[in-house]
Amino acid sequence: MEDAGRAITAARARVVAALAARLRDLDLAEDAFAEACAAALTAWAAEAPRDPAAWLWRVALRKAFDPGRRVAVRERASHDPPAPAPTPEDLLMAADEPVPDERLRLIFVCCHPAIAVDARAALTLKIVCGLSTERLARAFLMAEPAMLQRITRAKRKIRDAGVPFEVPRREAWPERLEAVLATLEIAYAQAYEDAALAADGAPFAQEVLRLSGLLAELMPDEPEVLGLAALVRYAEARRPARLDAAGAMVGLPEQDVGLWRGDLIAVGARLLDRAANLRRTGPRQILAAIHGAHLSRRETGITPWTDILMLYDALLVVRPDAVTSVNRAVAVGEAKGAAAGLEALSAIADRARLTGWLPYQAARAALCARAGRSAEAAEAYRAALDLSPAPAERLYLERRLATLASGG
Amino acid sequence: MQYMLLIFEAVDAYDGEDGQTKLMDIVSKHMALAGELRASGVQKEGAGLQGVETATTIRTGGGVKTVHDGPYAETREHLGGYYVIDVPDLDAALAIARRIPVLDGTKVEVRPLIVH
Repeated sequence: MEDAGRAITAARARVVAALAARLRDLDLAEDAFAEACAAALTAWAAEAPRDPAAWLWRVALRKAFDPGRRVAVRERASHDPPAPAPTPEDLLMAADEPVPDERLRLIFVCCHPAIAVDARAALTLKIVCGLSTERLARAFLMAEPAMLQRITRAKRKIRDAGVPFEVPRREAWPERLEAVLATLEIAYAQAYEDAALAADGAPFAQEVLRLSGLLAELMPDEPEVLGLAALVRYAEARRPARLDAAGAMVGLPEQDVGLWRGDLIAVGARLLDRAANLRRTGPRQILAAIHGAHLSRRETGITPWTDILMLYDALLVVRPDAVTSVNRAVAVGEAKGAAAGLEALSAIADRARLTGWLPYQAARAALCARAGRSAEAAEAYRAALDLSPAPAERLYLERRLATLASGG
Repeated sequence: MQYMLLIFEAVDAYDGEDGQTKLMDIVSKHMALAGELRASGVQKEGAGLQGVETATTIRTGGGVKTVHDGPYAETREHLGGYYVIDVPDLDAALAIARRIPVLDGTKVEVRPLIVH
C-alpha cells in the first residue's frame, strides 16, 4: 500500500494537469483524481498496474464524464457506490493513449496574472503539488477557512472569467513567465521560513524543489527558470545545517559545511552553468550565484565576501528592493568592515519602513555588535525579538543578546 | 465567451488647451480598432459615452425612485466608453483590452458577461 501511495504521488501532477486541461475545471479535475485514487487503493491491493499514471488517468476520466457520478462528485454525497475497477480493456486503452503532459499549462493557469498575487502560490501548490488546504494554511500562517476561501475564489475566477488552459504564446512570455517565477519564489520563501518553524517543513520544501525542477525540465531554454531551480537546490542543500541540536538557528557563516548536501549542490551548479550559457542574466541567476558563492566555503574553507558583494551590487540594479539592500549591507560589513556595513544600512532610502522588519533589526544588531557599539546592538536585538521571530530564530537572537551582555 | 471592456478615464482627461486634439486623436484610433474588430466579427457592440455632466441617475431608496442630476457617484474617474467582444478566452480579451487607445492613467476593466 505504501507503494501505491508513492505511485500516486509520482503520477499526481501529470494526471491532474491532464484532467484539468481536458475538463477545463480545476474542481472537477481534483475530484475525479481523488476518486481514482480511492479506487486505486482497492484495485491495486493485489498488484499495481504497469503504468499507474495511465490507470489513474483512464479511471478519473471515466468518473468525470459519468453524468450521474458527476453530480454525486459535485454534491459530495457520502453514499457513493464503490468505484468499479478498470477492465483489461481500460488498461489496453490506457496503453494506447498516454497521459498527455499538460503540467506546464496547469502551472501557467495557476499563476495567471488575472489571479490575485497572494492566491497564486497557494493555488499552484494545491493543484500542481496536491498539498492540502490545512497544510497550506499552516505554511502561510493563515486560518484554514481563510486559505480555503482564497483558493476557492481563485478557482472560481479561473472558471468564470474564462482563463484559458493554454501555455501562452511566446510574445506573452516575459510577463507570464515572470508571474510563474515570482509565484515559485513566494512558495519557496514560505517553505524556507517554514523549515525554521516546524519539524515538518521539509516535505513542503520538497514540493517546491520538485516543482522548480519540473519547470526547468519543461522550459530548459529559459535561464531564469534554471536560475530559480538552482537557487532552490542551493538553499535546500544547507537545510541539514540550519538548526543546531537545541533547535536554534545557525547563521550561514557558522554552519557546519560537512552537513551541506553535496548532491543538491552539484545539481544546482549544473543548472546554473546551463543558465549562464544562455547569456541572459536575471535576478534569480544572480541570487543563485550568491548562494553558490556561500557554498564554495565547502571547498575552500573561506567565504568570498568580495565576490558576494559584487553580486549584490549587480542584484541591486535589477532588484532594487529592501531585502536586497539589507542583505547587501551585511555583505559590505563582511567585505569592508562593520562600520562600512552600518553606513550602507543607514543609506537605504526607505529605512523608516524597515524598523518593523525583523531581518533589518537582526542585521543592524550583528553589525553594531561587531563595530563594538554594544548598547545599540542590544537595542536592535531586543527590537528583533519584539517582532515575533520563529522559535529557532528567537533562540538564536536570545543567545546573541546574552553573549553581548556578558561582554563576549 | 463574451466580455465587456469598460474604459475608465479621468473626468478632466480632455480638459485644457490641447484637450480637443487629444480627444480627436483617441476617437480616430477607436474608430480604427472598432472597424477592425467588427470586420472580424469579434465586436458585438460598443460606444463612447458623453461626458459625466450629461449623466442623470435614478436612485431607489425605501421603495421610492428619485431622479438626480449627475453620475451614480462623484469620483475622479468615470466610465468613458465600452466594447462588448466575443472571443475564446480571457487571454484573447486581455489582448484586445491592451490595444484600446487610452491616455496615460486610464484603466480598462475586463468583465465576462452572463450569457443565457
